[in-house]
Amino acid sequence: MSELKTTYLYNFHTSQNAKMIDFGGWSMPFSYDGTLKEHNYVREDSGFFDVSHMGRLRLQQDQMELINSLICSELTSIENTKALYSLFLNESGNALDDVIFWKFDNDLILICNASNTEKITNHLASHNVNFDNLTSDTVLIAVQGKTAIQKLENKFNIPEKFSTGRIDKFTYARTGYTGEDGIEIMCSNDDAEELINYLITIDIKPCGLGSRDTLRLEGSLPLYGFELTEDISPVEAGLKWTITNKSNYLGKDKVDDQINSGKHKYLKRFTLNGRQIARTGTEVFCDNVKGLVTSGNFSPVLQVPIGFVLFESKPPVDLVNFDIRGNLLEGNLLKKRFLS
Amino acid sequence: MSEKKYLETHEWYSLEENIITVGISDFAQGELGDIVFVTLPEVGEVFNKGDSIVEVEATKTVAEAYAPMNIVITEVNSQLETEPELINSDPVGDGWMVKAEVKEVDDSGMTYQEYEAFIS
Repeated sequence: MSELKTTYLYNFHTSQNAKMIDFGGWSMPFSYDGTLKEHNYVREDSGFFDVSHMGRLRLQQDQMELINSLICSELTSIENTKALYSLFLNESGNALDDVIFWKFDNDLILICNASNTEKITNHLASHNVNFDNLTSDTVLIAVQGKTAIQKLENKFNIPEKFSTGRIDKFTYARTGYTGEDGIEIMCSNDDAEELINYLITIDIKPCGLGSRDTLRLEGSLPLYGFELTEDISPVEAGLKWTITNKSNYLGKDKVDDQINSGKHKYLKRFTLNGRQIARTGTEVFCDNVKGLVTSGNFSPVLQVPIGFVLFESKPPVDLVNFDIRGNLLEGNLLKKRFLS
Repeated sequence: MSEKKYLETHEWYSLEENIITVGISDFAQGELGDIVFVTLPEVGEVFNKGDSIVEVEATKTVAEAYAPMNIVITEVNSQLETEPELINSDPVGDGWMVKAEVKEVDDSGMTYQEYEAFIS
């Protein structure tokens, strides 16, 4: 086995007695104080996550149209102060990765999933997109929570939601992946400790990837490798709202076909009536339409099991059955998000 | 109460005359993460050694606790229905899971020192 990669903040994590796990080849903190506690820090107060394992690439403004032709959203026409969630698609219209762009006057920062960084850099290179890989020279810290903005106001010029900012050594945007407000901050490794110490002094607590997962799930947000794969399109994943690209882009024909025909897989949110969690791979039956759970866990806010299920075709009703270790359990598909 | 013994499947038990108390080890609860649901057996249910007696749902994964010997359930810790986190906070005390009458004593579990060596 090859040695696990570590972020620049590895020593900080171990000094805080974090429980470390192997996350796609990276040694990352799973939790410090316990997943549920950290979940509640973010929902009720605020927490920060080291997400430096995610890929960070600097792209050039003069290649915007080329980049735009590889994603399903409109990047060119939005202002140079905006952040954009989008997906790189393959020729079949399926997800290569879901990413965030931070747009600035002089450049763009692309943030991709850790497990897809190599795939995305190869993809960009094969389409003659230039990039400067910042991943190993910088850290990325997601500060999230009800009180995050209020606590950060003294040090950072807080941009509007889904907008970017830069202030001396920090590059950031008002984005995140927990369903709460907050900013994600990138800085060089040399400034990482200063940033972390500052966050701790303003009483923002370190949180691990365990709570990041329960938070994103409860926030109704898909995770690459589970809800999104190279076999699922944004139409199927319930991400039609990201399909705003008016120009031609890779995978567009397939995406348009799916929108027009309605014949495709369907990703749905569910709650379960019971005290068992339907985990990844659980079989689901909705009349004669079969599905598989992509992610399932406990919702600390709703206090019930929740998750995403991917159906082969459109489920005809909202009442579904889950085969959990041989027992059939009833559940409901939701039209709304888990948290309103 | 007798000294607690441990199994390779991470349960602990203590035996007093022919009544056994069963729970999961501190190591096991740490590996599972936050426990959110516990499915306990019914009083009177009969289990053979190695049968699954309790199902534990945690934020990280699901796990089962197995019968350390042939038993009949006499009492369950119903506090766990509303406070499953007791297994995290006090796995070898208030987080006990079941008490049972032993049909056939098999006191072959590991001592704590042996268990510690086993998990390290």
